[in-house]
Amino acid sequence: MFRGWSTVLFAGALLLFARGMVSESAPKPPNAQALTPAPSATLNAPLSTRVVAYTIDAKLNTNSHSIDATETLVYKNLTGQPQQSFPFHLYLNAFQPQSTLMTEVRMGGVRGVGSDSSWNEKNRSSITVAKLEVDGAGDLTDKMQFIQPDDHNTNDHTVFQVTLPKPVAPGASVEFHMTFHDELPEVLYRTGYKRDFYMIGQWFPKVGVWWKNAWNCHQFHADSEFFADFGTFDVNLTVPQDETLGAAGDLLSSVNNPDGTKTAKFHSEDVHDFSWTASPDYTVVEDSWTGSAGPVKIHVLMSPGNMKSAPRYVQALKGTLAWYDRNIGPYPYDRVTVIDPPHGAENAGGMEYPTLITAGTTWYMPKGVLAPEDVVNHEFGHQYWYGMVATNEFEEAWLDEGINSYVEAKSMAAIYGENTSIINFPFATASEAQLLRIEYISLPDTDPITRFSWKFISDNAYGGVTYGKTGTVLLTLEKVIGEKTMLAALHEYFLRYRFKHPTGEDFLRTIEDVSHQDLKWYFDQAVYGTNILDYDIWDAHSDRLNWWEKEASRKKTNDEIYRTYVTVHRKGDFVFPVDLLVKFEDGSTATEHWDGRDRWVRYTYDRKTKVASAQIDPGNQVLLDRNFFNNSYVVDGDNRPVHKLENMWVFASEWISQFLAWVS
Amino acid sequence: MPSAARPKTFAGGAGLVWRWQRILCWIFIVNLVLAHFAVRGLVDRVTPALAHSLASQRLVSGFDLNAIMELSVQPDSPLEAPGPVVFHYSVIFAIFMIFSTGGILATYVFDTKPTTTAFFEACGHHFWRFIRLLVYMALSFIPIGILVAICSPIYNSIDAKSNSPYSAAYFSGAASLIVLLLLIVLRLWFDMAQIIAVADDETRMHRALRRAASLLRHNFGSLLWLYLRISLLAWIFCGLGLYLWVYHLSPFSTTIAFLLTQLVLIFWIATRLWQRASEALWYRQYQAAGVPEPTYSPSPTPAPVPYSTAMN
Repeated sequence: MFRGWSTVLFAGALLLFARGMVSESAPKPPNAQALTPAPSATLNAPLSTRVVAYTIDAKLNTNSHSIDATETLVYKNLTGQPQQSFPFHLYLNAFQPQSTLMTEVRMGGVRGVGSDSSWNEKNRSSITVAKLEVDGAGDLTDKMQFIQPDDHNTNDHTVFQVTLPKPVAPGASVEFHMTFHDELPEVLYRTGYKRDFYMIGQWFPKVGVWWKNAWNCHQFHADSEFFADFGTFDVNLTVPQDETLGAAGDLLSSVNNPDGTKTAKFHSEDVHDFSWTASPDYTVVEDSWTGSAGPVKIHVLMSPGNMKSAPRYVQALKGTLAWYDRNIGPYPYDRVTVIDPPHGAENAGGMEYPTLITAGTTWYMPKGVLAPEDVVNHEFGHQYWYGMVATNEFEEAWLDEGINSYVEAKSMAAIYGENTSIINFPFATASEAQLLRIEYISLPDTDPITRFSWKFISDNAYGGVTYGKTGTVLLTLEKVIGEKTMLAALHEYFLRYRFKHPTGEDFLRTIEDVSHQDLKWYFDQAVYGTNILDYDIWDAHSDRLNWWEKEASRKKTNDEIYRTYVTVHRKGDFVFPVDLLVKFEDGSTATEHWDGRDRWVRYTYDRKTKVASAQIDPGNQVLLDRNFFNNSYVVDGDNRPVHKLENMWVFASEWISQFLAWVS
Repeated sequence: MPSAARPKTFAGGAGLVWRWQRILCWIFIVNLVLAHFAVRGLVDRVTPALAHSLASQRLVSGFDLNAIMELSVQPDSPLEAPGPVVFHYSVIFAIFMIFSTGGILATYVFDTKPTTTAFFEACGHHFWRFIRLLVYMALSFIPIGILVAICSPIYNSIDAKSNSPYSAAYFSGAASLIVLLLLIVLRLWFDMAQIIAVADDETRMHRALRRAASLLRHNFGSLLWLYLRISLLAWIFCGLGLYLWVYHLSPFSTTIAFLLTQLVLIFWIATRLWQRASEALWYRQYQAAGVPEPTYSPSPTPAPVPYSTAMN
């Protein structure tokens, strides 16, 4: 999920005057079908251990914004032990006033919903399982029981459990048959409708994951995403004939029905979720890209008014595909679909599903604000960190969002430039890596990275730590073990754990394996701890060695010796070795390496020259350092930055005065 | 109004501003000094953080937004919002402008070099009248505020219902233009009322407003065009200045950047004075032409005391 909107919009607002209105010109194709049938979409050799096989028949009712569906789930018991009780997610029940999710939203405000927002009935949604049958056990509808494993909130109905009359043996399969009904919300939290646009995610009863020798099936929380097992999906979607469909699967066929609807059959395999979208207003843009695993079809479904951003999406997607193919590993699927939500449905944007992502733009998006590129890059990255390396987003969100944020900074810099990867105007720039750092330093010490996603002190802390801090921790680690080693470690991590459910320890162990270094000292502080890293130059000055002699009584010679003192101070509790560069007035330099263990260290130099500057971490390598501005001291100050800011503030102040004078 | 007089008001107003450019200089200086004081605290806070730090070079060689954001999110951020202080100094400037408007308009209306004493006497003479006008102006904002309040839900409704984002954007653009036009007409109305107050030493501001409204109604096109022409020049020059500042100025050139921004501001102030001078000239010519006022005959008014003394 993309959470950088506020910062990007803040930066964009600063620069808004630079661009004017754009207009849509691309015509809509007469055939409103997003995907052409893929006859080659055959069942391939499994890439994953397929635990689940879902077959869903769903009909969208556009008048009532609801879905009627039947679901068959074949669950293969690979847990190694008999299983009798099965938990299922009912995510759509989260959008109800007394649910756990909404209770958490009221506490802190999340994803466009403020803590003081009033309840809007249009945002209410539900999923009702009308009937549940199990092969060999009959109708078990009355055996369904809502459970609340996380907070015991009995008003939360996002997880139910059913207990079978007899256990399913290890290695055996069990077949569930469900009839369910979805009432969709007006777009909220990634899913729902807006006018005639539909983004349907987390919409069907989904079984939990047997993980770490227990069922893992958390309630839907304000700050958490999802976790599911790999398998296959065969989904038949019936929608009005004028709808353009996009889905996380290969389109096998599309047949018009006599009642004015059409039924499209989709198949997807080695994925752990299935989402889809429908709108009569989409303009379809198709492209393709070929990587080491073969060709990939690119489908972009553009909403009205946003067509100017379509080439930007495609370029960003191709650049990201190529970067991942080169550095991380092959993209094994034959398609990727990008959904551009219409205006007013922004909360459906910036979200990832297997082989389908939602992006986000506006009709006035300036070229210098790389938000459309960034969101595509980020969400596509999740195809690797969540899609294939399917970590538990409830408990270890840093493994998908954090790693993805790090890779996003790397790949965006590679594609769009080191310092211009998020804002690129002739008069102002900003980089993705620095943006992550700013997210981190705004809330650096409230929670460790490894905290369960809904247990952070606030939504801002969840975002700042999970995305910003993790990204910054990895960017700093890259300076410790080297960029090539870091990328090699990610590549190895991907190869080891694709189509699996690794843990944080698996990730950290892989880095140590590849780097051949014991990094416990770093991980303990950066990943498991909340220590702040902040070094500053406490003092840098030179003094005449024979200071007691008065200036006037001395002969001016070139042999004057100065004693220079440079004191480096560790302000925070994070111990990190740092380099120090001292420059002298005659151009000579001295470098030091300090292990940073003590609270401070003083270096002394006797030279025929005075100190000009002292700088910790001269290459700005340690991005975890909370404050770069106190990392250096220049003896002869430079007031130009101050004057530059002063100019702007004075000018702004003058204009405010002029405005007030005009209206008075 | 005699048509022959019309062209003179535009160029003649500029001539008045040029002739009495000391007014322009003083307004600019007061504005600059107050703005300087408004940001002084912020500059004092930011100087220790930036002046001796190599990291601040990110702001010299370009404008790195990350650097600004980094400063602003520090726990003891030196970039604490200066908003309230700036606003307070802006209010002081606005009061200064209300005070000096009497003297400025007297200078333009009578086009005679005033002594400093006469100028400030005129300022003081009209100050409370203009404060009363300010109260009327604040009341006049109420219907415009209501209009904006009505437009807001309409915008939201269009935005919610329309599949195209342009519908709401067009509505918003049109509504903004209408509101801007209303504000301009309101400003023009009160400008004329202030000129009547000075030229005819009108003591009753509601009467000045009614006479100004009557004048405006019968000469709407010419007065609005007079005002808008100068506004357009101001906007074009400001746009040009900002364009040069943003796209063509070297990021290292703080001095030239300062001079350019201040040049833009001087021109902006000059155009505002140009509008005032043109309106004053227009009214002088209107009176000279002997055209009876459509609805109100001005009561016999004494010559403005301060200036008659100064001029004779």
